[in-house]
Amino acid sequence: MNDATLTHLIPTSLGVSYLWLIPFLPLFGFLLNGLTGRHLRNNSWVNGIALGSVGASFLLSLYYFFQLLQLPEASRSLHQSLWTWFDVGAAQIAGQRLTFATVEWAYKFDVLSAAMALLVTGAGFLIHLFSTGYMEEEQKDFRYYRFMAYLNLFVFSMLNLVLGSNILMMFLGWEGVGLCSYLLIGFYFDKTYAGDAAKKAFVTNRIGDFGFMLGFFLIFMVFGSLDYDTLMGSARSVMALPSITLFGHTASPTFWMNLIGSCLFIGAMGKSAQIPLYVWLPDAMAGPTPVSALIHAATMVTSGLYMITRLNFIFVNAPAALHFILFIGALTALLAASMGLAQYDIKKVLAYSTVSQLGFMFMGMGAGAFTAGMFHVFTHAFFKACLFLGSGSVIMACHHEQDMRNMGGLRKYMPWTFWSMLLSTFAIAGIFPFSGFFSKDEILWKVFEGWYQGGTYQGSTLYLSTWLMGMIAAFFTAFYMMRLICMTFLGNYRGGGEDPYHLTVQGHSHGHDAHGSGTHVPHEVPWNMWVPVFLLALLAVGGGFLNVPHALHVLGHAHFSEWLSPILYQVAAVHEGVEAVSTMEYGLMIWATVIWAPGAMALAYWFYAADPSWSRAQRFVKQYPNLFEWVHARYYIDEFYEALLITPAKRLAGQLWSFDTWVVDGVVNGAARATLLFARISYWFDTYIVDGLVNFVAWLLQQFALLFKALQSGRVQNYAFVMLLGFVLLLFFKFLG
Amino acid sequence: MISLNTVLFISSLMFFIGVAGVLIRRNLLIILMSVELMLNAANLNLIAFARYSGTVEGQAFALLVMGFAAAEVAIGLALAVALYRRKDTVQADDINLLNG
Repeated sequence: MNDATLTHLIPTSLGVSYLWLIPFLPLFGFLLNGLTGRHLRNNSWVNGIALGSVGASFLLSLYYFFQLLQLPEASRSLHQSLWTWFDVGAAQIAGQRLTFATVEWAYKFDVLSAAMALLVTGAGFLIHLFSTGYMEEEQKDFRYYRFMAYLNLFVFSMLNLVLGSNILMMFLGWEGVGLCSYLLIGFYFDKTYAGDAAKKAFVTNRIGDFGFMLGFFLIFMVFGSLDYDTLMGSARSVMALPSITLFGHTASPTFWMNLIGSCLFIGAMGKSAQIPLYVWLPDAMAGPTPVSALIHAATMVTSGLYMITRLNFIFVNAPAALHFILFIGALTALLAASMGLAQYDIKKVLAYSTVSQLGFMFMGMGAGAFTAGMFHVFTHAFFKACLFLGSGSVIMACHHEQDMRNMGGLRKYMPWTFWSMLLSTFAIAGIFPFSGFFSKDEILWKVFEGWYQGGTYQGSTLYLSTWLMGMIAAFFTAFYMMRLICMTFLGNYRGGGEDPYHLTVQGHSHGHDAHGSGTHVPHEVPWNMWVPVFLLALLAVGGGFLNVPHALHVLGHAHFSEWLSPILYQVAAVHEGVEAVSTMEYGLMIWATVIWAPGAMALAYWFYAADPSWSRAQRFVKQYPNLFEWVHARYYIDEFYEALLITPAKRLAGQLWSFDTWVVDGVVNGAARATLLFARISYWFDTYIVDGLVNFVAWLLQQFALLFKALQSGRVQNYAFVMLLGFVLLLFFKFLG
Repeated sequence: MISLNTVLFISSLMFFIGVAGVLIRRNLLIILMSVELMLNAANLNLIAFARYSGTVEGQAFALLVMGFAAAEVAIGLALAVALYRRKDTVQADDINLLNG
């Protein structure tokens, strides 16, 4: 549509006419595999379709990314409108204004979308590749094509989410990824726990989605549009209004922005697993491990962050909503990290780690540092996808064993996986110069700055307290990741029956098709599994240099922040005027990367590797049994929800069911019975009275007819005899009468 | 000379024999014959009254009746034959199509 106007800007290019193929290629892959996969004899066809579509989509994204690079910074946005999705007509919005909005099915490839699209297709491709190895057992039956088709559908939905040019397109993708998440968590739907986890994820997400919907309904009521460009353009004029009246309530624009921001954040809570809606993510590990890596670590769970960054013009004007986000993010980061300390399931550790890291990202958002939060999305995608895929390799190598107590010593057997995961662990712990250092430290610094205010210490104490929570969470992060490495890779392998300290447990395997625990030797995974892990580890190592903070400008440039700057509305009030590099920043950096994180890792090593019997850890647990019990049981939050919300909800459902059965159905059945009774009476009346009368008349006539029928003998002689009698009678009357 | 009363008595006797034959017998041929008997009883009456009153109209009428009787027998026998061909019977009881 905008072909003509853009071609002169982008010489020697495809224009934007193939932009739609980025999301649609995976859709075609999904349709092809989903519809014909069952009949494809050879799984290499399924692989070719699934990987080919995502790979082509990645290459196309890369191509358009380079097109963007050639454009001047202010106009780095490609737009392709496919069709009008629907026409709202005239709608009345706040201030008695009328809007004539249409919702376009349009794709917008700008700086943020480009980065996200590259992440989704790039990481998506690697994880597809990993799946071809990980889902080996499923290749033998007819489940494999379904898995690949769902993955492709997920990539399509996610690309729709990040490439859509309006909030409804984002919402379409938002719901689409929720559906794919549900389908893939419940991939082994014949297992009860997988089905339950899928339902839990879907229902929890629906609660968040409700908030998201309220948020964009309010946006439409205030702005009269859902298109990003229109919204961004009118944000300033909306904020300049003296007051906005909606639903009979008059308030300042800031009030409405706070309300919108809070509603939107509730949506983000569901999708990005923040307190109180995080409970679904740990359970989502019931899905195959590549799904955990792709959906529940690298991409889908970051859509809340994408949404906030995309709509930063609302959040910048909503200080209360930002505080809300900051506090929830910090709380989530701290609580989830502490839960990760006491888990034995390798995937559960990573799940709580993901929740915690998402909390860090939201802290960045809440501090108004959108680019810092977004950057952590990227580095986290690298190292967490690497860790998840690595854990998948470990689980496969140990024959579907997920309990870390039954592992150990895998370093010898699977060096590629070990080194990849170790590098990613350094990254997530925030060791310089791995990527996590740059992103996490930036977030924590931005939060701290909210209180520090360039050396004046005049900011809100909220920033100080959340910064402290974040620091403790960072310590926990380094600890539980090192604990994971020690328990899994260091020491001796305990799964083969060699277990001098009796650390292994039986019957904890949550994996599908668990084999018997006979003596077996773990083995390195095939190339199509360790190569993606290793590539992601390389990204986790080097990714940080994409966005080197200003303070370390000798090492590089803040490319990422500058790249995203065109979509930012303004610097958040927290950071206004705070640009100067201070010694405090250097001090905190050195503290975090030299003492804090390595200290935690050394502590974990001292607990779990330097002492192969784990007696120190056990002594600690014995000393504080309740503490360990609470942390191990995740503070009983699931049980609390069960008791406070789910049981009453179920009871209410039961009562409604009773009401339905006894009252509603009773009325219906009663009406049916009354009708039946009435019909019976009517039938009886019809049969015996109405029909009776008719039949009686007929019967009477019949009897008469029978009577007279006897006269009609048909015999001539009888008639003649009667004639004779008549004649005799006539004579009698004539002569004697 | 035979008295008129005697003749009338004989003719009425013949007539009632004919009537009885028509009413009682079941064979069509006999019924026809009985009808003839009744006609002849009438003829006997006609002739007796003609003789008694000395006129000839009665005798002439008797001749006419004989002619009619001949025609009637012809038609009656034809019907009886046709009936027999169709129904294989000449019994009056079997011819009861008008039975109600």
